[in-house]
Amino acid sequence: MVSGTGLASETNIKLPLGFILYGLLALVTSQWILFFNSDLLTAGQFRIPDIWMGAHFLLLGYAAMIAMGAMYQLVPVAFLTPIWSQKLGFVQLVVTIIGITLFSVLLGTASDYAIYGGIPVILGILLFILQMWKTILKQENKTMITCFVLAAISSFFLTIAAGFLLAWSIAYGGIEEHQLILFSHIALGVAGWFSLLIFGFSYKLVPMFSLSHGYAMKWAKPAFITYISGLSVLIASFWISFPYLDTIAWILLFSGFGFFVLDIQEILAKRVKKKLDKPFIFSLIAIGNGLVIHFLAVLLNLIDINNENIWSWLVFLYIMGWIVFSILGYLYKIVPFLWWTHKYSERIGKEKVPTLKEMINERLSVILFIGFSVSVIGLTAGALWQIGSIVFIFQGLLAITSLAYVLSIIMVLVK
Amino acid sequence: MSLEKKVGAALFEVIDPELGINIMDLGLVYGIGVYEDHDVIIRMTLTTPGCPMHDSIINGVKYRVSQVAEVGEVIVDLVWEPQWNPGKMSDKAKEMLGFG
Repeated sequence: MVSGTGLASETNIKLPLGFILYGLLALVTSQWILFFNSDLLTAGQFRIPDIWMGAHFLLLGYAAMIAMGAMYQLVPVAFLTPIWSQKLGFVQLVVTIIGITLFSVLLGTASDYAIYGGIPVILGILLFILQMWKTILKQENKTMITCFVLAAISSFFLTIAAGFLLAWSIAYGGIEEHQLILFSHIALGVAGWFSLLIFGFSYKLVPMFSLSHGYAMKWAKPAFITYISGLSVLIASFWISFPYLDTIAWILLFSGFGFFVLDIQEILAKRVKKKLDKPFIFSLIAIGNGLVIHFLAVLLNLIDINNENIWSWLVFLYIMGWIVFSILGYLYKIVPFLWWTHKYSERIGKEKVPTLKEMINERLSVILFIGFSVSVIGLTAGALWQIGSIVFIFQGLLAITSLAYVLSIIMVLVK
Repeated sequence: MSLEKKVGAALFEVIDPELGINIMDLGLVYGIGVYEDHDVIIRMTLTTPGCPMHDSIINGVKYRVSQVAEVGEVIVDLVWEPQWNPGKMSDKAKEMLGFG
């Protein structure tokens, strides 16, 4: 009589948790690497081996690993279909951890050999893509969330293909379009893989965490089409010299993001839970950050500012203010859920069990989220005005806050 | 007290861990039926299809009701129609969520 049982808890908790714990370790590692190289950040020197190492620990080690781990947990829940092969998931976890660690370290220490670390990274991510395609295609009723997630996974594939070409170029040379591939790699990675994934899962998580009902998601399709178009035109603008192509791209990306925000606004307006949890509010603030950053990109383009340093810091704000902040907020909901399911789901109804909110220290989370926000604002300001001491202080604050954040998440696992 | 009422009272002790509110006040239970042999059927829903707490809540309901004296087999009939809406909540639940 119970329809659909077994879906939510069928994923072995060790699988998503393995990805998440490595991701948290990578977050701290990346921030301390960047802290020890804060002089390079001040000078706007992003294409330096040590910065590559920090950036890849952040984007691949932290953001991508957390995203993959969260997908192992959320895909069965959101799409009502079990993971295709959990055994393959564990193989993918080990291969990807070895690959990302090796690749990031080699980028910083012996970049000519980074391609040898890139091979297991690519293998691990290809296994993940295969896993998710096989899982999601089994979903009976496809929705707009499916479109966002499939598009994100496709972008992920193109990102690593471009990344492999870059590693090849560094090792053996001979690829004249290195810079164009680099720009495409960054756009596909941050706007394609991460943003489309956060859009898709926000359509599930925001109503769930705010207990919203009766919303229409009427802007989901326009948001999807417009954002994908913007991303495609942006990549085309790197490769083809055509007037105003980049301007059209930024306007499309901003519009796509704006349509997504309209839906989120409606979901929140129709929420039942009036007092939202603080970490979830932080994820919502990240959506606001994303909209502002997209608007700034349009503005900088329209007033013809081509300073590479300014654009580099805008990309940094996009990664930190939108992608990383979204993940930091959602993780404060996902990890307690995972641990609660593991430890207490069999005890519900039998004895008094804690609520999810009681698993976290919400007051501490507010301090940490303020710490992250202040760090990123200070860091950006210091870098734009090129004041080394300011960059040093705020990157240091970011590294300390990251460490405290990770410890606060680990504290959940002892409850 | 009838067995149906005893089962209803027991369900007030099954708490949605995300919201911290019991499933009766949330209006998730649509009906309780008791067969002649004291098997119990509970017709209920969740706040959203694909709720991550799906299994935990269902298992909680089964366990708690099975602890009620005289109850035989416990059957949970999970339905999505009629869809849950905020109007199904008790005033107490609405107040706890700051709604209405």
